[in-house]
Parts: sequence; C-alpha cells; structure tokens
Amino acid sequence: MTRLRSILVLMTVFIAGCAPQPDESDVAARHVVIYSTTDLESFQPVLDDYKLLRPDVDVEYIALDAGPLYERFLGEVRRGSSTADLLLSSAMDLQVKLVNDGFAANHDSANARALPAWAKWRRQAFGVTFEPVVMVYNKKMLGDRAPPRSRSELLSALKNEPEFWRGRIGTYDAERSNAGYLLVTQDVLQGETFAVLLQAMGEVDVKKYDNTSAILDRIASGHLIAGYNLLGSYARARIDHGAPLMIVYPEDYTLAVSRTAIIPVAAPHPDAAHSFLEYLVSIRGQQVLTTRSKLNAVRREIQGPYAQSGVFDRELGAIRPIALGPGLLVYLDQQKRERFLDTWRRAMSPALRAEPRSIDGATAQ
Amino acid sequence: MNARLLIKQNVILRHSRRAAASLLVMLAMYTGIRIYSLSAADRSYDRLLSGAALSIAESLSVTHGNIRTDLSYAALEMLSAAPDDRVFYSVVGPNGAVVTGYGDLPAEPPNLRKNGLTSGRAGEARFFDAYYRGDEVRFAVLGRQMSEPNASGWVWVQVGQTRLARDALQRELILGAVAPLGFVAIVTLILAWFGTDRALRPLKRIGDELGARRAVELDPIRTPVPREITPLTDAIDGFMARLASTMDTLRMFIAEAAHQLRTPLAALRAQAEIGVDGKPEDAHRSLVAIEKNAAKISRLLDQLLSHATVLHRTDIQKTETFDLIDIVHEAAHETINMTSGANVEIDHSIDAAPMKGDPVLIGESVKNLLHNALRYGCPNKEPISLSVGIDRDEYVVLIADRGPGIPAEQREWVFQRFTRGSQSSPGAGLGLDIVRRAVTRHGGNVVLRDNPKGGLIAELRLPRAQS
Repeated sequence: MTRLRSILVLMTVFIAGCAPQPDESDVAARHVVIYSTTDLESFQPVLDDYKLLRPDVDVEYIALDAGPLYERFLGEVRRGSSTADLLLSSAMDLQVKLVNDGFAANHDSANARALPAWAKWRRQAFGVTFEPVVMVYNKKMLGDRAPPRSRSELLSALKNEPEFWRGRIGTYDAERSNAGYLLVTQDVLQGETFAVLLQAMGEVDVKKYDNTSAILDRIASGHLIAGYNLLGSYARARIDHGAPLMIVYPEDYTLAVSRTAIIPVAAPHPDAAHSFLEYLVSIRGQQVLTTRSKLNAVRREIQGPYAQSGVFDRELGAIRPIALGPGLLVYLDQQKRERFLDTWRRAMSPALRAEPRSIDGATAQ
Repeated sequence: MNARLLIKQNVILRHSRRAAASLLVMLAMYTGIRIYSLSAADRSYDRLLSGAALSIAESLSVTHGNIRTDLSYAALEMLSAAPDDRVFYSVVGPNGAVVTGYGDLPAEPPNLRKNGLTSGRAGEARFFDAYYRGDEVRFAVLGRQMSEPNASGWVWVQVGQTRLARDALQRELILGAVAPLGFVAIVTLILAWFGTDRALRPLKRIGDELGARRAVELDPIRTPVPREITPLTDAIDGFMARLASTMDTLRMFIAEAAHQLRTPLAALRAQAEIGVDGKPEDAHRSLVAIEKNAAKISRLLDQLLSHATVLHRTDIQKTETFDLIDIVHEAAHETINMTSGANVEIDHSIDAAPMKGDPVLIGESVKNLLHNALRYGCPNKEPISLSVGIDRDEYVVLIADRGPGIPAEQREWVFQRFTRGSQSSPGAGLGLDIVRRAVTRHGGNVVLRDNPKGGLIAELRLPRAQS
C-alpha cells in the first residue's frame, strides 16, 4: 500500500515535469489579428468554436468595409507597421490583387486542396464561403403579382409597370461599394441582357445603397419592393427571423461570391494565422460557418440548406461562382474602372443619359 | 600474377574511361534537352503573352488628346492557361507617363528597345525576363504608333507573367525526353551485361579446351564458336600449324644431325678399334684418320651451333644499327685466323655502309660464304676476293673464288639443308641454308653465279634502308 502510494507520487511528479513550458514561439502563436468584411455578430459563433479548439489563441477581430480594409492593409505594409495576420474579405478582386502583387503567403494543406477549383488561387487565396447572389422581394408588397424569376422577367416587369416599381427597387452602389462593383462587373461579363436591365432600372429611379443589409432593411420594412444583387445568406438569415422576404435565385444565371481569406507575408503571427485559416477550411469550421454563422459553406461535403449542396439541389438554373484568378484584375484597372463607372452612372440616371454623349462600353465584353 | 593484376587494372581503367565518356554524352544530351525544353516552353507561353499584349494594344484609342485603353477580360483570361501565375501589365504613353497598369514594371534591356524602335515593327512583341515583386517574370513588350493630334508617338504595352507554368512545362518536357532516354540506357546496360557474358562464354570454352590439351596436340580447335570469334580461332589454329611445322623441322633437323654425326663417329670408332687391335705400324694411320674425323665432327658441330644461333636470332628479330663494312671485316678476320693458308683479298668501294638489322646474322652469313669459298674455291691456293659495294639502294657483298664452281642446275639445290656440292668434300651442308635464312630475314637475297674469270661468285644483296 505504501509502495503503491509512492509510485503514484512519483507519477505525479513525472507528469508535472512533462507539462509544456511556455516559450517565445508559443507566445507568438497566441495572438491573431483578423481584418474582416463580415460583421462580428455573424462571425462570433466561428470565433467561439475556434476558442474551444484553441483556447490558447487570442483572436483580435476587426470588422471593416472591403475598400478601407484593403487601403488600411496596404498603408500598414508600406509604413512597415504591424498589420493583420489574416485578411477575410468579400471583395474577391481586391484579394486577388493583393495575391498578384505578392503580398500573400502560401498555405498548403489537404483541407485547402479540397476546396473547389474556383475557390482557390496559387495556394494563397482561399474562398471560405459560397454565397449566391439573389433577387429579394417583399412578398406582401408584390401582392398577387408573380415575382420575376430571371433578369429578362424583371426587365419585362419594369417595362410593363414602370410606375409600380419607380423608386422601389434597390441595388448596390457600384461606385461606393466594392462588393457591388464586383457583382455588377461580373454581370456585364455574362452577356448583353444586363446592360438593358441596368438602363431599365435607371429609368425607374433605382435606389443605390452601400451594403446588402441596408437594402434588406428597406425591403422588410416595405420601403422597397425588390432588391437586385443581394447576398443570399443575409436574406435567409432574416427570413429565419420572420422577415416577409422572398429569395429568388435568378433562373438565367446565379452568381456566387466567396469570402476570401489570405495570409499576408507580413503577418506578425503567421503560425496562429495558418492555424485559424486551416480551421476555416476544415470540415468543423465549415460546419460552424453554415449552421451557426448562417454563411454558406464552400466545401461540398457540408450538408444543409445553407450549404453549397443545399443551394445546388434546388436546381435553380446555372450557378456561376466567381472564380479567384487574374481575370478579376481587369475591372480593377484604373481606366477600365473609370470607363465602366461612367457608363454605369449614365445608365443609372436618366438625366445624364439625356446628354448628347454616346453610350459606349456598357456591353464591354 | 602481377601481369594479370595489371591487365585487370587496365580493364577497370578502360571501363571507367568509357563510363565517364558515356556520362559526358548523357550530360550533353541533358543540357541540349534542357535548352530545347526551355525555349519550347517559352515559345508556347510567349504566344499567349504577346496575344494579351496585342489585345491591349488594339484597345488603345485617343480621346480629347488622352491615350485611352479598354482592358478586355479576354486579354487577361488568355493568360489563365497558366492558372497559378501572377500577371502584370502597363501601358506607357509617348511622353513616358504611365497610362494604366503597374507603374513600376522593370524596363526592357536597352538593346532590345533600340532595335524595336529602329525597325518600328508594330504588332510584333519582344520578350525578356526580369525580377519583379519577388519572382522571375517573363515580359512581352509591344509598341503601337499613335498619330493623333496631341498624342502622337509610340505607346508601349508591357505584359508580364510569372514563370510557374513555363517551368512546369519545361520540367514536363525534360521528363518526357529524359525518361525514355534513361529507360533505353538502363535496358541497354542490362542487355550489354548479359550479352557480354553470353558472347564471352565461347572464349571460356576455347580456354578450357586448350587447357585440357597435351603439349604435342596442335590440331585445330574443335569447340564450335560463333562467327564473331572465328578470326581468333583461325589465328590460334594458324599459329599452332606453324608451331607444328617448326617442331617437325626441328625433329627432322635433329634426326638428320644425329644421322650425320653417326657416320663420322662410327668411322672414328672403327679407326680407334683398328688402332687398338691392329699392328703398331698401323696405329699412326689410324690416328691420322681419327684426327680427320674428329675435325669433321667439330666442323659439323660448329655449323649446327651456328645454325641454331641463326634460327634463334631469326625468331627474336633483334634490330640495331651497324656498319656492314665493319661486320664483313670482322667475319673475314675470324675466318682467316681459323683457316691455315687462307689468302683473301678484301676490297671495298665505299667507306661506310650503315644499315639496320642483326649484325650477328650478317656476320655468320659472311663467315659461312667465306668458309665455303676457302674450302672449295681455292684448290691451288688462289686468292679469294671479298668486296663490299653499293648498287642503287642495296649493298652488294661479293665473294669470288677460282674453284671448280657449281653447275647451274645444282645451284638452287645446294641451298637446302644437309646437301653438299660434292659428296667427297667434308662439311655437313648446313651453311648455305643458314645464309639464306639470315639474308631473307633482312629483306635481301643471296645468289650463286659463275665468275667470268673462272670459279664461283656468291653475291649477297642487302637493302640499305632497312627499318
């Protein structure tokens, strides 16, 4: 009995001796700074779950709009001051530009490779969500009208009843919102129809907003009847909370964007950054994104209405995910942007269009 | 053992040299493949790069005196054939101001730009590599001349792409070329290994057969061999045939010598018996006969020894430079000293006669001829004439006597072994055979002819330039 006790004592001492000693690298790994375009409220469940997994890592989450995020990061890198460890932005084009300009570090893992081809570029940019871009209607305001299910149906509706729609359709302000600019340029790439639709929206005095939430608020409150190019995940979350909204995945084609993560070469805490990114693309992280943050998971293994498979299963026409890659750099070109916005402005405001200047470039490619 | 070790080392040396040579060849081939692959990879991706540059250049326009571009999606999409490569571009106006794109792209090497300007070929891109933003980047530069008011001159479109896809393609091309090459090399090596072993097996069989033979078995090799090895077996068979013939000659020589020695020895014994058993007054006659026969045996032995020397020296083929006149003089002196009452007149029309060959053989030949002349050619003590002369590219040694001579039909016959001009004279008949062998070995010849003054002339001809 005494012998057994002495063994137990010895074992305790031994285990105590084996306990990991904190050292310099551990301290560095315990902090991670994230700049993100997703509001903290949506992202909190992800952070909470990660905390369970890695209680030793302290996450500093800073929510920013896409443009300011990009500018702040570049400014910090240029000044050489401390910057973020992970950039998570829905402005896929700006993230691609950061990768192209050599600011991103490699991240290689089985989970990262499991992402769909369009959701990764150069082992440096990774799309972690899959968010269809939809049309949203206020069911009550529509009355007995059938909701337009495609761009051509919307166009007909606007042409047939311009007074019904006047001032009651909302979309992104492409000039002020990076996400809106990305979506509208991607629409232009899809075909000629869109330019006509843009003009028709301009004719009925379309309202322009900085973000999806602002438009959804107004549709829910009845100030607007419809919203064009909105993030589906946000609309779903509101429907789940009882908002009288109706989501339509355009039948001609449905774009899908992806919140894109990159780890800067200049990350002060790269170990923690890689650990967090790895969590985001892991099955567990994707599950939490889908079920608790209500952001659609990008990995096809994840089941459920918010998952990619859930959307695809509805067979709502062609889903066209915006692919990460150098193609996204085209509309970031200074001259291309000026040209495009010039056209966009004229389409959106009939007053400008009345000027005797020819419309050009609206259908560029 | 030592020699065998040396041979083994030589073989190893030869093999390592050969291995080094084939390694060099392979290295050269690899370098060639590498260069080709690089240029092939560059060519295929350069087309896309220049396509993108051209697409941008075609979108150039001038509005209100400003250069305008309309970057098309297709221009950059074209480059996504290299999906993981970064893309950079810029458009620079005539005044050097950046119209759009990256303002800090590396300039093309000055020699390239100059050429482009002078030739002024728009629509044809020039390519170069440069380091930009942490990577090796391939650039295409394309010039387009604008001639609008307020904006005239060259506008430069520069498009660049990192080299990931090119390097991957190059690796693929190298692998595609090297892998079969390596495969062929390995297969060749294996085949050579087994092939050599197979090919050398007949040699081992021949070795076994020869090893099992007794010394006197000189028949052709019976082991069947492949056609490639027949030159070797033919050579061995030929060598053994010559060896057999030499041994036959030797056996015959020994038999003849024994026979030749037996006759004077038998006479010697008979004379001695007469001397012992006979009357005392006959004893002196017996002693005289014995002395005569003993001298004959002695001469015979001399000739046999001389013959053996010539045979041996002919076999070893010794060669040195010497003066024929000295050798002739020496031979004459030796012969004269050994023969009582010899009268030899030596005369030569030249002062020196350098030649290459074996002086001992030549000396023996002269001695033999002189000996014959002294024995048969001067029954009345007439002088023997010995002279050395020159005839075109040959030295001519003449030994002329005033003896009875040899009939023309017998002159060839006397050169054969164990023959003598006349059976009554002493000698074993080995002399002329020795002379002919020695002279032939030097590329010369010996003939007998009539002396116009009566008697016989032995004429020895030896080439002057003997190598």
